[in-house]
Amino acid sequence: MRSLILKDLILNKKFLLWTGLLYFIYVAVFGSRIDNPRITTVFITFLCFIMPVMVFTREEKLKGTVLVCSLPATRKQIILARYVLGWLLMLGSFVLATIGILAVPGSKLGPEDLLNARIIMFALGLMALYFAILMPLLIRFGMVGFLVFLISLQVLGFITLALVSQSALKLNIRSSIAAVKNAFIFLSSNLGTPAYYALLIVVMVALNLASFACSVSIFKRKDF
Amino acid sequence: MENVLEIKRLSKNYGDFRLKDVSFSLPEGYIMGLIGPNGAGKTTIIKLLLNLINKDGGEVRIFGRDNTRDEVAIKTRIGFVHDTPHFYEQLTLKNVKATIAPFYKNWDDGLFCCLLREFDLPAKKPFRTLSRGMKMKFALAVALSHHADFIILDEPTSGLDPVFRRELLAKLSSLIQDEKKSVLFSTHLTSDLERIADYVTFINQGEIVFSAAKDEILEKWAVVKGGNDLLDETNRMFFKGIRKREFGFEALTSDAAEARRRFVKNAIIEKASLEDIMFYLTRGANHA
Repeated sequence: MRSLILKDLILNKKFLLWTGLLYFIYVAVFGSRIDNPRITTVFITFLCFIMPVMVFTREEKLKGTVLVCSLPATRKQIILARYVLGWLLMLGSFVLATIGILAVPGSKLGPEDLLNARIIMFALGLMALYFAILMPLLIRFGMVGFLVFLISLQVLGFITLALVSQSALKLNIRSSIAAVKNAFIFLSSNLGTPAYYALLIVVMVALNLASFACSVSIFKRKDF
Repeated sequence: MENVLEIKRLSKNYGDFRLKDVSFSLPEGYIMGLIGPNGAGKTTIIKLLLNLINKDGGEVRIFGRDNTRDEVAIKTRIGFVHDTPHFYEQLTLKNVKATIAPFYKNWDDGLFCCLLREFDLPAKKPFRTLSRGMKMKFALAVALSHHADFIILDEPTSGLDPVFRRELLAKLSSLIQDEKKSVLFSTHLTSDLERIADYVTFINQGEIVFSAAKDEILEKWAVVKGGNDLLDETNRMFFKGIRKREFGFEALTSDAAEARRRFVKNAIIEKASLEDIMFYLTRGANHA
């Protein structure tokens, strides 16, 4: 697995340095203009999660998969390396983006807003969810899978907005969101903070393991 | 004599093309040529050996081990050259090496540098700037730099100039001198195989036509040239492929000894080259 990660880092060295740098500046500047920590977190995590997507679709663009699959590595190892590298890139970008937002002069958020366990868990949860859903799509359809993911998110947003505007459904949607929120509050107050966070981490890990199993199964069936 | 490669009843169905129950084996220390016209299934076999595509049935054993179950252990001992080298185009040769070398425990940097010098390859140039011949040379340098015991090459000589083709064939011949290394070499250029192959496997339309030692093939197969009056029903059945002309016919047989008995004085019997065999057994002639 180390060889596979090393290969991706060598392959994307310049890209990560230059595009990554511009990307970091962009995230830091725009993130610092938002005054709500939750919205900032949604913004950062989504942009951080695009980082591994760009790296993996470059492999597709460079038609390197035939080479990788010819090397001494199983398909399971190849996918495992992608998951590990994906998480490393997401977490690395998240740390850098948070530092960047806090370092921008006149940032509307302070360290107490972003560097607390609740926000960090929220960010990890979002990244785990995005990554777990997207990876099988990306492995099955490549860049098209990513676009399908983005379009699905937008369609979901439109449907939600449309439903919210209908007064009859307004209550249901609000109550559904409130129900989810209440479930988290209930778990948090009953389990106590450490156990609650441990449970969230277990769920995130389980979600990613299921996504990994699905991706391996898809990748094993592919012909090159 | 141990077999480095054993393929039994291998099949793959693409819908419009089927690889049908392919079986053959390659003993350790020899070069086998896999010949056949374009689209015969040579690349499909090579991709199946490297697990680039999934088989529908059959068994592949390399170094006596199942190629899917012991994939990493097998691939560590294999060097490969694809028909189109799939290295990262924008990386320099030095960096391409850096991405590949860590996968092989036996990677030999000294040997790699030697091969780059021998093949006149510039380590600091991006892969995309190389000509097709140079790309092939580089792929061969990578395949040889980890002391692989089994080299698999898919159409390595197509599109190469005659000088490098000869150099490459000489390199492959020298490789097997230790009687431990083996080579599987797919091509439609039969002249290459006549120079270096010990065994030849001929595939056509997804089926193995024959797989045997080259000398045995060249001894058994013959081209018969004679007058059209000889082409009665019995003789037609005897031939594998016939080419009729105004003043006579040329036909291929897989039983040269019987042909000599049958046409003692009234026909010319010549040794068949691999090209003759490929020509008569594919679209080049009317089948008997």
